[in-house]
Amino acid sequence: MRFAKQVTVAAPRQVVWDLLWDIARLTLCVPGCQSAEMIDPYARYRATIQEKVGPFRLTVPLDIDIAEHNAPQRLIARASGRDRLLQSHVKVELALTLLEVDPQSTALQVETDVAVLGKLGTLGHSVIIRKGEDIVDQFATALQAELQKEKG
Amino acid sequence: MLQPFALEEPTSVREASALLARYGEAARLYAGGTELLLAMKEGLLHYDRLINIKTIAGLADITRDADALRIGATATHRTLERSPEVHTHFTAFTRLEAHVANVRVRGTGTIGGNLCFAEPHADPGTLLQVYDARVKLARQGSTRTLAIEAFFVGAFEVALAEDELLTEIQIPYLPAHTAAAYRKFGLLERPSVGVAVAVTALPSGVQAVRIAVGCVGPTPRRIYEAETMLSGKEIAAVRAGLPEAGELAGRAADAVSDLHGSADYKAYLVGVLLRRAFEDAYQQAMAGEATDG
Repeated sequence: MRFAKQVTVAAPRQVVWDLLWDIARLTLCVPGCQSAEMIDPYARYRATIQEKVGPFRLTVPLDIDIAEHNAPQRLIARASGRDRLLQSHVKVELALTLLEVDPQSTALQVETDVAVLGKLGTLGHSVIIRKGEDIVDQFATALQAELQKEKG
Repeated sequence: MLQPFALEEPTSVREASALLARYGEAARLYAGGTELLLAMKEGLLHYDRLINIKTIAGLADITRDADALRIGATATHRTLERSPEVHTHFTAFTRLEAHVANVRVRGTGTIGGNLCFAEPHADPGTLLQVYDARVKLARQGSTRTLAIEAFFVGAFEVALAEDELLTEIQIPYLPAHTAAAYRKFGLLERPSVGVAVAVTALPSGVQAVRIAVGCVGPTPRRIYEAETMLSGKEIAAVRAGLPEAGELAGRAADAVSDLHGSADYKAYLVGVLLRRAFEDAYQQAMAGEATDG
């Protein structure tokens, strides 16, 4: 399941890039992110994501590896985890590309590839796809809002 | 395996609502259980307490009044399929109910449970939209009525407050010269695409068309733009406009690619089923039958 979204943020590219590594602030931008911690700077992180679709709740502790980071323009991360209760495995590949529109604004491209395997994946495939799209949308919007806050 | 839970058996809507208020998210209403218990057996859901509302007298009744047929929330699919009242006024609904899931589900699954669970790949919510059905929701000391369109909020989500129950589905009788039809297609047990059409037609032309598409998006939805395209025209113009209306409905249905097929495939099927359902409903309306088909 692949989703892509692009937003233009009224902030210099370096400012956007710095936010991506500010765990406390980034956590606020990721929908359903309950906690996040740095294990090894620019390499390994851990986070717990909780999402809800109607009565179904998914809680996934994710191990996140940074596969590539090329400041201040591109970041690729891979995350995987398992919801013990729902016996469902989640794998995410996230690519963020920052393009300088002008010195004061940045286009942020968010591309994700999400796989949900196990019981939840078979029961609600289309629901998960739609939820994934919502999450990418909300993430991009929240990132934009967080940067505006800094600016404002 | 099904984890242990306590079973409450209220005898009134007020009592059931009070139980929901008391136990909150730890409790869930239980009617036929054909969706809920499967999810609980799979470990996808767990509740400490299930509130069996089949014990509430009168909640499965089907009654008529001057302007609508009133269907109790715990009426099973089988009851609806066999109901003379439903068949007399809403034949398409009888036919739909005869083909919901499988015979085991139809014997125990209820119309209220089907609507409240809001699994996107379900049939009744789509047809009920072209009937302009309403749902009656009740809680301790108050009731409200909502258009069925507003009842569906998202996949597995409906507009019920935490302590509220769906008690009744009200289907207004169809206007004169009006008939409805529902067509679905799917390779799996659940339908991949469902399309409902209601047509009001006279020899002079098609006065009104109502269209709803289900299963392809998170909720069933009316496609008003396609309805406008087809309403108030002579039949030849309507038939000529059906492919475009079908394309429009396919796009508006907001299909996603999943195990049921690609988004393009589903959008295409919406168009095919729309044409078939329209023709069925139109023929019934022109035959001047008092019911739909």
